[in-house]
Amino acid sequence: MLSPSITNYLNQAAREARVEMPEHTASLFDAGVLDSFSLVEFVSILEEEYGVRVSDAELKATNFETIAKIEAFISKNKVADL
Amino acid sequence: MSCYITACGAALPERIVTNDELASVLGVAPEWIVANSGIRERRWVDANQSASDLAAIAVRDALQQANLPAQAIDYLIGGTLSPDYQVPGIAPLVQRKLVECRQVPALDVRVGCAGLLYSLQIARGLMASNATNTVVCFGAEAQSKGLDLSSRSAELSMLFGDGAGAIVLNQKPSNPLSLRVDDVWLATDGTFAEELGVRAPGTANGARWWDEAQPDLLLPKMNGRTVILHAVRKLTEATFALLDRNQLSLDQIDLIVPHQANLNLLCALGKKLEIKDERIIVNLDRYGNTSSASTFLALHDAQPVLQRGARVLVLAFGAGFTWGAALLTATEA
Repeated sequence: MLSPSITNYLNQAAREARVEMPEHTASLFDAGVLDSFSLVEFVSILEEEYGVRVSDAELKATNFETIAKIEAFISKNKVADL
Repeated sequence: MSCYITACGAALPERIVTNDELASVLGVAPEWIVANSGIRERRWVDANQSASDLAAIAVRDALQQANLPAQAIDYLIGGTLSPDYQVPGIAPLVQRKLVECRQVPALDVRVGCAGLLYSLQIARGLMASNATNTVVCFGAEAQSKGLDLSSRSAELSMLFGDGAGAIVLNQKPSNPLSLRVDDVWLATDGTFAEELGVRAPGTANGARWWDEAQPDLLLPKMNGRTVILHAVRKLTEATFALLDRNQLSLDQIDLIVPHQANLNLLCALGKKLEIKDERIIVNLDRYGNTSSASTFLALHDAQPVLQRGARVLVLAFGAGFTWGAALLTATEA
């Protein structure tokens, strides 16, 4: 599960773009919730919220394409941090 | 030994390609191009014009500004992503077109959009070793010739423009105002080589360096989202690395001259660095993304607003990935 603030961020982005939030495994890019440029801010917010640093090797758009992928990424990196 | 940029030159094709013209070809709306790039028009070469043609014009312009003949060049360094030929490189062709230029070393630097920065560091090193007195560097593109103009590549093909820029470097300042090269910080991460580039012709594509069954390999490809994520991070890191080792803060930088990739990227970078838009040079609305030529043209366009003592930060990120930053200070002769 994503934290409430991250969920709120995505919901707000969807409202501003006047699009529906996609299914768990559907692309946030294709849905119009995130684009190339809002993704930069979104990754920064994720790093701040979860206290993780996205490594250069993992700094790929595909890691943040769906809510499921974001959850998996956060889960893996939180465990790695411990 | 110091190193100064004593003059800048520029060359742009005459043909202006507006968003209205390009949008209909790419199957998108002109407004979509502006919203996704900030670009309103770009220049494209005609069929009979090559990257080295533009480069030679830009170099001659820079030499004229420096009040120097081509015979004064001790070393020529240039880059392009859209070369005249696979072999030889562009620098020997420009040396030939300058006519009066002596048989000096002419070196290609294949680092795309970061070409100015890499060239600056080489030129600075050459001067520090007293190997040369006058170095000319250039970046040139005729990349419109290699674009995929179908709707599937609209996001990429809307960006690129043609043009060339050049700088003259000398051990001493001249002209009313020169730019002292104080420091250059460079980096490379080849992990992402396939995220941005043109793969053919090349020897990593099978038995032949151009497989006719895969014509798409000849076209530029970019994973835009990943490239932008890295560009903003790396340029931010490069900025602070350079400032830290020169014991400067961003407040002490008067002007940022970035590679003109995309206006939205520049806005994201500005936001990350917490600097106001008016301190960032932007000309991509008129020229588009001119890759290797981009920072040269931006530096050329920055000249009128420079005053003595102004500190300038040049930032660039490109294929490779290669990236970096340069610190310049405007100095009177």
